Amino acid sequence: MLVVRRRAGESVLIGDDIEVVVLEAGQNRVKLGIMAPREVLVFRKELELTREQNRAAAVTDALSLSRLAGALNALGRRDSDTGPVEQLADATTCDASAGDPDGR
Amino acid sequence: MPECRTRYFETLDYTEDSVIRLPNGLPGFEQEHEFILIDRPLNRPLVFIQSLRTSSLCFVALPVLSVDAHYRLSISSDDLDVLGLDPYRQPRIGDDVACLSIIAIGEDRLMTANLLSPLVINLRSCVAVQAIQASCNYSHRHPLLNAETVPACS
Repeated sequence: MLVVRRRAGESVLIGDDIEVVVLEAGQNRVKLGIMAPREVLVFRKELELTREQNRAAAVTDALSLSRLAGALNALGRRDSDTGPVEQLADATTCDASAGDPDGR
Repeated sequence: MPECRTRYFETLDYTEDSVIRLPNGLPGFEQEHEFILIDRPLNRPLVFIQSLRTSSLCFVALPVLSVDAHYRLSISSDDLDVLGLDPYRQPRIGDDVACLSIIAIGEDRLMTANLLSPLVINLRSCVAVQAIQASCNYSHRHPLLNAETVPACS
């Protein structure tokens, strides 16, 4: 990894047409300005990590999940504070039960 | 009443006011804007996030507070704006928003919860956003369990 020390106002060039400027440098964070051609995608790494995790989550199989649910119940997490989620989900599924006693 | 074909629960009825709307979709699934939450006693504490558009797309999640009881939100002002919430105040989980951590199983078979970017749902409007947290204290792969070693649910 190339390591470069820069102060606020200084910049780094990457290739012919990408410039990264340090706009502000604080104790815990820096503010960067990035100038790059339109076709170069620039985004925070967290977004890519989230994208990868979502793709992995979408192909997660049901068997493993039922095991997870069983394990979580065994760990006693069942009574966790899920209140508002239950409210929302109840609104979704309360009419969905197969044997609705009112026959609606 | 509209019906939704689901990945795990065949066909379910739902009400329009229970639909979770994501103006930006989810990262990796930007075309998916409408979901319903499925929460069944048998599967608790798991919550299923089922796409209305794609029946085969269903995420599985846990309430963030059941993964980390001390979880603190740090949502960007842009995301608060999408949610229609005060951009100068972090919402309260349970009062203002529901907060779900999506679960994945990696190639290493480790089951993990995404605490870096939970799905945050405005409880009043049902508008939601997968909010990448501004503080870097949380992992996108917070370990839950190893999928190989966990006993099957009875």
